[in-house]
Amino acid sequence: MKIDVKHIADLSRITLSEEELKQFTPQMETILESVEILTTVNTDSVQPMKKHIPLEKLRDDVSREGLTQEEVLKNAKYTEQGYVKIYGKIFGDIEES
Amino acid sequence: MSESEKYDVIIGLEIHIQTNTKSKMFCSCPTGYFQKEPNTHVCPVCLGLPGALPVPNKRAIELCILMGLATNCDIDKEIYFDRKHYFYPDLPKGYQISQYKRAICTDGYIDLKNGNRVEIERIHQEEDVAKSTHHSENNKEYSLIDYNKSGVPLIEIVTKPCIKSAQEAKEFATKIRQISRYLNISFADMEKGQMRCEPNISVQEKGKWEYKDGKILPIGDYKLNSKVEVKNIGSITAVEKAIEYEVKRLVDDIENGKEIIQQTRGWNAEKGVTEFQRSKETADDYRYMPEPDILVIDVTEEDIERISSEIVELPDEKTERYISSWGISEYSAEVISSTKENATYFENLQKVLSPKLGEKDAAIEASNWLMGTLYSISNEKGITVSEMDIDITELALLILSFKEGIFTKNKAEELLRECIENGKDITAEIENLKQAKNDTSGDIDNIVEECIVQNPKAVEDYKSGKDASIGFLVGKIMQATKGTANPNEVRNILIEKLKR
Repeated sequence: MKIDVKHIADLSRITLSEEELKQFTPQMETILESVEILTTVNTDSVQPMKKHIPLEKLRDDVSREGLTQEEVLKNAKYTEQGYVKIYGKIFGDIEES
Repeated sequence: MSESEKYDVIIGLEIHIQTNTKSKMFCSCPTGYFQKEPNTHVCPVCLGLPGALPVPNKRAIELCILMGLATNCDIDKEIYFDRKHYFYPDLPKGYQISQYKRAICTDGYIDLKNGNRVEIERIHQEEDVAKSTHHSENNKEYSLIDYNKSGVPLIEIVTKPCIKSAQEAKEFATKIRQISRYLNISFADMEKGQMRCEPNISVQEKGKWEYKDGKILPIGDYKLNSKVEVKNIGSITAVEKAIEYEVKRLVDDIENGKEIIQQTRGWNAEKGVTEFQRSKETADDYRYMPEPDILVIDVTEEDIERISSEIVELPDEKTERYISSWGISEYSAEVISSTKENATYFENLQKVLSPKLGEKDAAIEASNWLMGTLYSISNEKGITVSEMDIDITELALLILSFKEGIFTKNKAEELLRECIENGKDITAEIENLKQAKNDTSGDIDNIVEECIVQNPKAVEDYKSGKDASIGFLVGKIMQATKGTANPNEVRNILIEKLKR
């Protein structure tokens, strides 16, 4: 199975060197080939295992407080006035929602 | 041949709407993020922390179904969610939970005034992303992220490419906003980002393409022009303006032999132009996959029935009823029914006036007052009719007093304004006027006599055949009675006296 690791890396905003690409490509191909074996199993008489829940049983729309601002920002490397601060140009060719 | 005769405009709309829930789509954090301290309505789920699991909000899904029912969609009996992957700081999980293969609502439509039908391909449920603002300091670019908006329920309405003009697009967006507000699905305020409109626009030569199964196909060897997507549209008016601008730009480019590339452009409201943002040479690669953390949600007939009961009479139906049952003009009926608040006010006023005036006259009188005095006060003061805080029974009393001839319409309007501006009591003011009228009614004869003596020129003019001067004299007398006399009565008395 052929896989374009550079494309996957670009989509994930990860820069990989030529060397890394050479190293990762066969590794990822092995993973996909292993998973591919599953598709050879005959599942004609097997019911889907996805569980169902009635709409009625879903969570009621009640709000409650979550984390404090201090707790939220604990994981951020940089912050400014209560915001998470991120350096770098982040506009890419991938769209917002 | 003019350009509009040569080309067809083809528009599809994507409309995102934040729905009115108290808690977020997949967690219990509060949704009201407007003007709140950043990063205070956040929990491990909407922050995308490892191990956190999404728990779908029942009300949000009901509101999505409600929008589907109000726009004639089929509702899926099983609800599936998918992951849409992309990397952007406003998306903490690295994917957005959305719907890809199956949307909750499909195959709906809304009919426009000109009879054209806008087909709705799908309405699906998803979650909003965080808010990011972009800055730079010392040539270093950075972004500030507030996750309060992350995970707010969002529905996306996608139309087929069957909208034929900027005006139609605007009407469709307006109708979606009206439905959202009438059914309390959303406040749908575009300025606040609660509703976002993104048109896809292309321009094709007439007769060279056809619309088939929701797709635009070329006829013969015609090569379709690429479509352009416009973002950053911040108001309903801008929907129309941005499309008009873009259509003209596309036609100019084609006429000048330039090739149109598929691209995303941003509307610049200040300059009134669209600006290039990025080209879309390759298809988006979102690596969709089924969301494994959410169960399949079963929707029953009882659910649909329960949700349907929230549907109230919508603007189009109201307009139709106002015209056919009460003879209101089409324009007035449309304006009044455009907001639920005004329609309710109008219907209540009509109800209170009905016993005295009869249903039709009550409706016409209520419509005249709303379209006239109330809207003009509303515009001047920048407040809505209900914010004026006028009791409907009191307003009805005022209208009926005028109809009985206790005072003129001008006087009634003046009194209403006075009461709204200075918080005076309408009933008490009407009583005062009645009293004043009783006090002067005996004097009317005298006042008319006096007026004749004081205005010999006008009297002379009338006698020599200038009928118009009677109006002048009536005005003088009305002034003298401070508007409490009945002008018709005054006119009759005056004519009687001038005959002598």
